[in-house]
Amino acid sequence: MGSAARSVARLLTHRVSLRVIGVVVGAVFVYASLDKIAYPDRFADVLNDYQMLPLLAINPIALVMPWVEMVTGCALILGVWRRGAGLIATGLTVVFLVGIAQAEIRGLDIECGCFDVSGMSSTKASWNLFVRDIPLLLGAMLVWRKA
Amino acid sequence: MQILVRLLTTFPQAARAAALLAAALVLSAACNAVNPLGIPWLPSAGGHVGIPRAYESRLPEINAAEAFALYQPEEAVFVDSRDREDYERDHIPGAINVPMREWAEVWPEKESQLPREALLVLYCYGAHCGLSTRQGKWLLALGYSNLRVLDYGWSEWTKAGYPTVQHPSDGGT
Repeated sequence: MGSAARSVARLLTHRVSLRVIGVVVGAVFVYASLDKIAYPDRFADVLNDYQMLPLLAINPIALVMPWVEMVTGCALILGVWRRGAGLIATGLTVVFLVGIAQAEIRGLDIECGCFDVSGMSSTKASWNLFVRDIPLLLGAMLVWRKA
Repeated sequence: MQILVRLLTTFPQAARAAALLAAALVLSAACNAVNPLGIPWLPSAGGHVGIPRAYESRLPEINAAEAFALYQPEEAVFVDSRDREDYERDHIPGAINVPMREWAEVWPEKESQLPREALLVLYCYGAHCGLSTRQGKWLLALGYSNLRVLDYGWSEWTKAGYPTVQHPSDGGT
């Protein structure tokens, strides 16, 4: 087991792999930010539905968080300040995971608001999405710790 | 201050993360200022979030007496944004139920019942029930223009003793 795991680790932390992982994670973040930047009002509704934020915090977070995704994503794609960007990407993904998990545990039947905040999306916050976010978390953590 | 400088030089990635966050803050403020769907940084007067600045004046809140004044001469169409079960238990006579929590599913079949030019009075449960205001926002985006939101909604209407229908024959509980 030891040597196989070591090879995988060496492969993943290779300069080129980290660059590719950064671009992929960055692209996910940039793509995720677009709809929310265009429709901050609908993203505010999504945040409100997660029922984990005080009312006063919802509009400011709806405005700033998509831009955090955008700026972080661009930095990861361009390879600028990658570790700092990886740190934020890790933090954001943890926040997503906490949001989805608490919604599932409390039985909230709500829209994910991950990529599409059109209000016509049928993507609900679910354990499937939680699992989908794990590779994103691992990628972000790799860039943060190893890039 | 010195501690901050020491922290930032010890953890340069944290300093860069902070710089990225600051950039995001500046960009969001700039973008929000020019976005036609931009929202205020604080909740609106009615305590609602996610209402574009440009929409606030187009979703006037009215009290139960004002709503009743529109109800009597049948000037307005009343829209009940509450859940289906609550509507089926009791509602304002003649109101059309468009459950906001199932908006995406119900809107296609409800759209034909709400003429674009009609005066619509939206109501939901009561204080701080944001469902009607949110529905109003969607209706504005769809081209409806003559909207009112019944402040305190159903609870205010029933407290005032205005007419309601219970267990209507067309689909009671």
